[in-house]
Amino acid sequence: MTRPADTLLDPALFAAELDACHEQAAPGGLVASRSRWVLASRQRTGGGRPVPGGPSGLVAVQHDTPGGERELDVFAGRLLHLHRRAVRAVLDGALARLDQRVSEGATLLNRQLVRGVVADTALALAEAADLLDLPGATAQRRWRIHRDLRAAGRAVIKLHGAAGFQAAGPGRLLHLAELLGNTYLHPGPDGSSVGAADGSSVGSEALDG
Amino acid sequence: MAEVITPRIEALRAHVREAAGDLRTIGLELDRDPTAIDRWLHLPAVDIMRSCTVPAEYLTNPLRIGGETYDIRSCLEHAVTIEELSYGDAGFMLACPGPLMSGAAVDALGDDKQRHAYYQRLARPEPTWTFFGLTEPAKGSAATELETALVPDGDGFRLTGQKRYVGNAAFAQLGVVFCRRAPGPLGIEAVLLDTDSPGFHAELIETVGLRGARISAIRFQDVRVERSQILGYESLKPSRRGLVGAIRTLQRFRPVLAGTALGLSRAVLDHVRTERPRLSRVARLRLEAAQDRLAAARARNYQVAAAIDAGQVRLDRIAGVKTRAAELAEQSTLLAADLLGPAALLEDPLLDKLYRDARAFEFMEGTGHIQRLAVFQGVLKGTFLDQPEN
Repeated sequence: MTRPADTLLDPALFAAELDACHEQAAPGGLVASRSRWVLASRQRTGGGRPVPGGPSGLVAVQHDTPGGERELDVFAGRLLHLHRRAVRAVLDGALARLDQRVSEGATLLNRQLVRGVVADTALALAEAADLLDLPGATAQRRWRIHRDLRAAGRAVIKLHGAAGFQAAGPGRLLHLAELLGNTYLHPGPDGSSVGAADGSSVGSEALDG
Repeated sequence: MAEVITPRIEALRAHVREAAGDLRTIGLELDRDPTAIDRWLHLPAVDIMRSCTVPAEYLTNPLRIGGETYDIRSCLEHAVTIEELSYGDAGFMLACPGPLMSGAAVDALGDDKQRHAYYQRLARPEPTWTFFGLTEPAKGSAATELETALVPDGDGFRLTGQKRYVGNAAFAQLGVVFCRRAPGPLGIEAVLLDTDSPGFHAELIETVGLRGARISAIRFQDVRVERSQILGYESLKPSRRGLVGAIRTLQRFRPVLAGTALGLSRAVLDHVRTERPRLSRVARLRLEAAQDRLAAARARNYQVAAAIDAGQVRLDRIAGVKTRAAELAEQSTLLAADLLGPAALLEDPLLDKLYRDARAFEFMEGTGHIQRLAVFQGVLKGTFLDQPEN
C-alpha cells in the first residue's frame, strides 16, 4: 500500500519507499542503473558510501553490470511515481505552511504569486500522472517526465523560502528525487538527444531556450 | 550598456582571481565540515574577505595593487571581488571572517563612535566573524513585521526572540540584530551584539548545500542591551534608524549576492567545458545559450552596482539583477547535470556541490517573489524597461 506523500519527508521512510521500487523491479534484489550505480537503503545493500546530500541511511554502491532491461523499465516507472509523490509532498507542505503564515493581516496563501505557483505545480503533477498512464513508455519519455517534475519541484520549493534549504525537510527530499533521476533516468551521454528529436520537450528550466 | 569595468577594477579582478585559484578543493572540505575554515585562515582569499569594506585607515596593510589602494567599499568593486571569490568557491567566501552584511548596517546606521569601535574590532589581528540577524521563524525577512522584542530594562533594554537562517551566527563574535522596540515601522531598531552576551544562543542549521555559509538559528533570552549598542540611537531620529538600515543593507548587498550567484554559474559552465570539450551540437548550443545569459547578467550587475556607487539606488533594477542571477545559478547547474551525463551527480564531487549550493541564492537577501514585486513596480513607474540605458 502506498503511504501518504508527506511521510516521504522522513528519510527512513523515503529509503523504504526506494527499496520498494527495487523490490517491485527485482524481488529480493537491487536494480543497477545503466551507469551501474545502485541507490538504496544501507539495510538493503548491506553497505556503500553515503549519497551526497542525503541522509546517512541511503547509500550508493557500484555494481559490475547494469540491471536488465525489464528490471530497469519497471524500476524507472516506480521511480517517477516516487518523484511525483515527493513533489506532491512539497506542495502539500507549502499549502499547510503558508496557510499559517500571516502577513499584512492575511495568510500568504492569498497572494496571487503564491496561488499561481500552487496551480502550476498542480497542473504539472496532473500532467505527469497522465503521462505515466500512457502505454508504451520509453526512456526518452521518462526522462522528459523527470525533467518536468524537477522543474515543478524547483518552483514549488520556493514557497518554503529558506526552510526549503534545510537538510531536514522538503529540500533534501527533492534533491534525492533529482539525484535518482540523474542516476537512473538520464539517457546519456549529454541528455541532448531528448528534446532535440521532437523539438518541444526541452523545457526552459535548464536554459534550453 | 556603457563599460564600467575600468583598468583599476580589472587589476582587482586579476588579484582576487589568483587568490581564489585554490578554493575548490577546500570548498569540498568545508561542505563536509563547515568548521574547517579555521585551518585555512592564512590564505590570501581570507585576507581579502577580512579587509573587504573595512576603511583603509583601520588596516595595517590595506590591499594595494599596482600602486592603488582598495578598501572594496565601492559596490562595483565589491561585486567583482565576490564574483571572483565565488568562482573559486562561494561557501569558502561566506565562511570567512570579516564585516559582510553587518558592516553595511553599521555604515548605514551607526554613529561615529559605533563605527569606529566596530571597525577597530574588525581590524584586530585575530579573525572576527560577524552576522546579520534579520530573518525570523514566523515572518521570514519581512522587516516591518519582525517580532524579536527590545524591552526597556532600567537604563537599557532586554532582547528576547529568535532569528533564523543567519549566516555564521553560531561561530561569530558579534553581529547586528534587527528587533522591535515599539509597534509600527518606526519602532524597529538595529542592535550591535556580542555573541558572548548572557542569553545569546546560536546553533548551526544543517542545510542541503552552501554549508560554508554556516546558516544558523539564534535565540535571545533576556539579553542585556545598552543604549550605546543601538545603532544610531544618539544620532538619528527613529524614522532614520532600524528599518532604514535593513533596507539599505539589503539594497547594497543584492548586487554582491548576484555576484556570488554569477561566480558560481561561471564556475559550473566552465566545468562543463573542461569536462566535455566535444559536446554534441545540441548540447553545445545549450551551453552557449547559458554562457550568453551569464555574460548579459554579469554586464547588467556591473551597471547596477556602478549606479549604486553613483548614488542611483534603483530598487527595481537591483531586484531584477538579483533574481535573474539566482535563477541563472540554478539553471546552469541543472544544465551541467544534464550535459555531464548519467550519474554525474554521484561521480563528480564539484558538480554535486555546486548543484546543491546554487539553490541558496533564491531566498538569500529576499526571495524571488519579493524581487518580482519590485520589478513590477518598476514597470509601472516606467523605470525598469523604459529608462534610457547608461
